[in-house]
Amino acid sequence: MELAASVLLDTTLITLTLALAAFGLAIIYGLIGVINMGHGAMLTLGAYFTWAGLQLEIPFVLSVILSGFIVGFIGLLFEHWIIKRFYNSPYETLLLTWAFFLVTTELIKIVFGSDFRTVVNPYPGSIDLGFYKIPTYRTLICVFTAFVILSTGFVFFRTSTGIKIRAMIQNREMASLLGLNISLTYKIIFGFGCFMAGLAGGLVAPMLSVSPYMGDMYLVRSFFVVIVGGIGQILSGTIIGSFVIGGLETIVALFSDQVIAQVAVFFFAIVILRIRPQGIFSEK
Amino acid sequence: MQNENKISKISRRQLIKTAAASAVIMGSPAFIRNLHADDPIKIGVLSPVTGAWTVYGKAHSRGFELAVEEINAAGGVLGRPIEMVLADYQTDRRLVVEQANRLLRQERVDLLAGTFSSADRNAAGPIVKAADKLLLYPTWYEGQIEEYYPGVCNENIFMFGPEPTQQVWPFMEYMCNKFGKKFFMIGSDYAWPQVTNMFTKEKLKELGGETVGEVYIPFNTPQYESVLRQIRQAKPDIIFHSLTGSDTVNFRKQLVAAGMKNDFTLWTVDDEEVVTSGLGHEVSSGTYVSFDYFMTIKHQNNKDFLDRYQKRYGSDALMNTVGVGMYNAAHMGAMAIEKAGKVDTSSIREALKGIKFDKAPQGTVEMRALDHQAVLPSYLMRVREGWSSVNDMFEQVQTVARAVPQDARCNLPL
Repeated sequence: MELAASVLLDTTLITLTLALAAFGLAIIYGLIGVINMGHGAMLTLGAYFTWAGLQLEIPFVLSVILSGFIVGFIGLLFEHWIIKRFYNSPYETLLLTWAFFLVTTELIKIVFGSDFRTVVNPYPGSIDLGFYKIPTYRTLICVFTAFVILSTGFVFFRTSTGIKIRAMIQNREMASLLGLNISLTYKIIFGFGCFMAGLAGGLVAPMLSVSPYMGDMYLVRSFFVVIVGGIGQILSGTIIGSFVIGGLETIVALFSDQVIAQVAVFFFAIVILRIRPQGIFSEK
Repeated sequence: MQNENKISKISRRQLIKTAAASAVIMGSPAFIRNLHADDPIKIGVLSPVTGAWTVYGKAHSRGFELAVEEINAAGGVLGRPIEMVLADYQTDRRLVVEQANRLLRQERVDLLAGTFSSADRNAAGPIVKAADKLLLYPTWYEGQIEEYYPGVCNENIFMFGPEPTQQVWPFMEYMCNKFGKKFFMIGSDYAWPQVTNMFTKEKLKELGGETVGEVYIPFNTPQYESVLRQIRQAKPDIIFHSLTGSDTVNFRKQLVAAGMKNDFTLWTVDDEEVVTSGLGHEVSSGTYVSFDYFMTIKHQNNKDFLDRYQKRYGSDALMNTVGVGMYNAAHMGAMAIEKAGKVDTSSIREALKGIKFDKAPQGTVEMRALDHQAVLPSYLMRVREGWSSVNDMFEQVQTVARAVPQDARCNLPL
């Protein structure tokens, strides 16, 4: 029983952390169809900006928020100058965002160097549940992730902005004929996705080593999350996708070892895609 | 008649001229070298200056560079200066091959030093063999346990870093007596951690200990909950740690965040100055680390060496076991050339065998003739509480002045 409870807790922690890392990708890919290969680099940027903020003695929370805004702003510039000209050609955006990844990674190495950087865990300690200790900081991140996803859901389904966005996804031409400013909406969504990536990068930084390639770790996993969950299903899809990719790993690793668990999970993801190529939640 | 004679004379003269010219051209490299004694001896250095292992590349190339500068300041070798030709292989095995060939064919270096990982060395192995040049290899590695790779049991390669029995065995008894005999092994999923653990388990069995868990983690794993749970359940005395690179940092940070740091003793064979800097003191303090070299070892050689190193590269420049391996490789290579009196491969190889360097930063280093493996000092250190830089990071716990490796499992002697 205690084992089951602790596995459940771990699974929740992993699922929500991965959902946080994948959320920016899910938004951009799901809502405007751009496969953002630069997502990993944006996570890394967020982590480095947070590190830099801490070096300037800016408090952690503020550093993370600033990182989110800076990465979001960089994303906006990238969209404004380049991406907006290629919305109708997915392969070109794939290449362009990949180029963004390459250039950004090299720039990070030039500006920040390639030594490992450390972001000190702002909330060390752990919460003792009697039978199990869970890390305080991880718990806070997960609560935050749940909050972000729920509030995005609220905006999406309960506000007029959400209706406009959904209208735009369903039929871009019609929405634009009815007076919606498509290019502005795309810009905002792209910027918000980048903001989330930067924020996530800053938030995971205290758990990981801050190095120029740290985002890569989450890039492949995030893609699987989005594809397994279903493109466009940014809420339930992201959560379930994260569970399949991250949470199942914990459960499988209980009965075997880590290597087999990772292989098994990706195998399972491929099987799911064979049966439901549109993802678990998508309808078409 | 006269005409014919003239023609034949000219053609004879031409023949002689042509022959002489071609002899000069064909023989010119050796010829010029013999004539100009102060032409440099060229050594090609393969370093991961950029790419994933940049963090190691800096100390790696600087260690060699410093030694070359010292040798040249003292008058060079055989009256000739040494010229170091640095090639950056960008942590890419394909580029190891490319750069090694470039150094040998285009730069015409007399020998090679460097490469970082065993995989890099295996890539360079066939090339140095085909070109019949030497490669001096600086990194701690899994030893020469089977001869099926080109990078081991290769008569053209010399190893200046420690193998597992030098790095781990000397301290097993101390650690077991102090903390207990139940080991949990966690390592990255490739050859070096697996072989290191194989040797560690062998010794542990001898000491009456027990392995309560053994996991291998794929590269770039961000989450460690399931491993942490396994460790909690196995209740080991010592977590024996051979994860590499950023996975080390990720695992260790999460171990600390889970509140498990004080429940277990952690012994790592991978976290030298570079990685421990990346961990920060909250995460790393109290950890045991073993290597042949640390910046904080108390040895007069090391003090002198660090004085020179930090004067040259700044007081915050990192040094580590790999950089010192390169430093020793340069000095011992130069000593061998001096001893041999010439720079051809087989003379240097013979001279390198058994050569002893007592000015090595970690103590005395000796190149074993039998299998080209260095006999080195070995140190067990403990990471200090609240350290602020590499200069006060480790405190010395145990010292072995001469750790003798196991014989390589090759057709010996090499």
